Amino acid sequence: MSLAVEAFVSQIAAAEPWPENATLYQPLREDQILLSDCASSLAVQAYLRMCNLPVHVSCRSNAEYMSPSGKVPFVHVGNQVVSELGPIVQFTKAKGHSLSDGLDDVQRAEMKAYMELVNNMLLTAELYIQWCDDTTATEISRPRYSSPYSWPLNQILAYQKQWEVRRKMNAIGWAGKSLEQVYEDVSQCCQALSQRLGTQPYFFNKQPTELDALVFGHLFTILTTRLTSDELGEKIKSYSNLLAFCRRIEQSYFEDSQAGSSSRGYSKGPSLF
Amino acid sequence: MAFIIWSHELYWKMFAHLFLCLSFSQAYAKFAGAPLKVHKITNPWRSPTGTLPALKTTEESTGSLSKPSNIIIHLRKQKYNADYDLSAKEGADTLAFVSLLEEKLLPALIYTQWVDSKNYVDVTRRWYAENIPFPLNFLLPNRIHNQQLERLRLVRGDPTLEPGEQLEKELYHDALECMTLLSQRLGSHKFFFGDSPSSLDAYVFGHLAPLLKVKLPNGKLQQHLNSLDNLRHYCTNILILYFPSEGGEPPIRKVSVHSDGSDFDSEPHKRRKQILSVLFAMGSMLGYAILMGIVSIQHIRPQAALVGPRHIEEEGEEEE
Repeated sequence: MSLAVEAFVSQIAAAEPWPENATLYQPLREDQILLSDCASSLAVQAYLRMCNLPVHVSCRSNAEYMSPSGKVPFVHVGNQVVSELGPIVQFTKAKGHSLSDGLDDVQRAEMKAYMELVNNMLLTAELYIQWCDDTTATEISRPRYSSPYSWPLNQILAYQKQWEVRRKMNAIGWAGKSLEQVYEDVSQCCQALSQRLGTQPYFFNKQPTELDALVFGHLFTILTTRLTSDELGEKIKSYSNLLAFCRRIEQSYFEDSQAGSSSRGYSKGPSLF
Repeated sequence: MAFIIWSHELYWKMFAHLFLCLSFSQAYAKFAGAPLKVHKITNPWRSPTGTLPALKTTEESTGSLSKPSNIIIHLRKQKYNADYDLSAKEGADTLAFVSLLEEKLLPALIYTQWVDSKNYVDVTRRWYAENIPFPLNFLLPNRIHNQQLERLRLVRGDPTLEPGEQLEKELYHDALECMTLLSQRLGSHKFFFGDSPSSLDAYVFGHLAPLLKVKLPNGKLQQHLNSLDNLRHYCTNILILYFPSEGGEPPIRKVSVHSDGSDFDSEPHKRRKQILSVLFAMGSMLGYAILMGIVSIQHIRPQAALVGPRHIEEEGEEEE
């Protein structure tokens, strides 16, 4: 969102309380949604649950096109539409709900830095594996992405999306990486997260913050999604404190609707239990 | 090991991502105590890898390296490691803050030097054109400008992005926030982790020091950095401790149209260029005159030279 729009939305947001009929939109869960979008969506859901804000999840095949920034998920609250975790956190903050108020300056700086780390490494790695690895792109990503559409639109849209992501990978210097290097990057990122988490229940001791929601979203999705190879999941499983962390958040915040939201996968994959 | 970088006059004037790599790698090497010889050249084609900066190693197997991450890996293999004393958590923090810098600060730095119209035309392009040999000085700046604009468009997902106030505000907003976060994390410490510098210090220094040193017409980022006292002291400190030869005072290059005596000192080739251009102009005028027949050159034998001039004058008058 541009700055002017952000400021305007915050002003309007501050005026009204969180309504009961807030809705979160994402692509179709069983057939269409891909790993990266699923992770982002789960992160937002986890965050809203941590804030105790009710939200109803609605799956639409054209969610990506409805979103104001082109990225999913987005929430429809009152008469505003806000997409992506960063702006949604600011939006809820304007309404008076925040998880990171208790942090001091140093901790807040660290939290923002780790969120960038997850976006920079985990999210980019997910996009790479989905669209730049030929096997995954052919067997999983392209068929799923274009499943709601008929021929020839499905072919055109799928290739267009793949081309767009590949160009972006080129621009940020990931195009030259091999799959092993990407797995290695993911492993380093998980190692950093694991070292930061240590033996604490959450990243900033007793209370979860948006960083916990983001990390949970990505790690849980990777662990419960079946891809062409299990290597990504294995990398995460080697860090036991991260596994325990995911279980803890799933138990605390997703237990009531386990059938609905927690077991997410390309086939009906099991939850972490 | 030999480190090959841009020449001295250019040192503080280019803070494209090239210089970031340079100062990061060089700073890291200095922190780790690696023995380096620095060669300064102006022509990137003369470097061993074809780009600058480049690290030329004495090992046969490694040859020459260009990317900063490869340079760091090589230095570590040679047992020059500035991160030896860091705990596991500090190592993780390093990775996180490096990501923060790359996502929030680097796009703004590149924008301010290469995409922002005023800065690019007044400072960057003019300065590349003056200091890099022909024909690169025509090709290189424009190419980098287009590349960076394209990259910004792809990363932000908007193919119609144009350099302007809107984009500038968004990028600078992120960058200012990033600098404030760094300042909060640094607090009143000497370095980010304890009393000795690490790779994170090299990275932060590499990004911030050029901002401090180079004077740009559109200097909002600089103003904000100057307002963060602890970051400014931090950069100056590292400069004095590890780069004493580059000097503490920034060489402020005024963007002026008039050339005065001081300009003459800073451009040693100016006199030569002036003479060459005058010679060229005279040569072309003479050539034109000869072709048109206004002036003619005749060969006369030495003994006839005494009576020659009168004849030549008569002939000259006849022709006219």
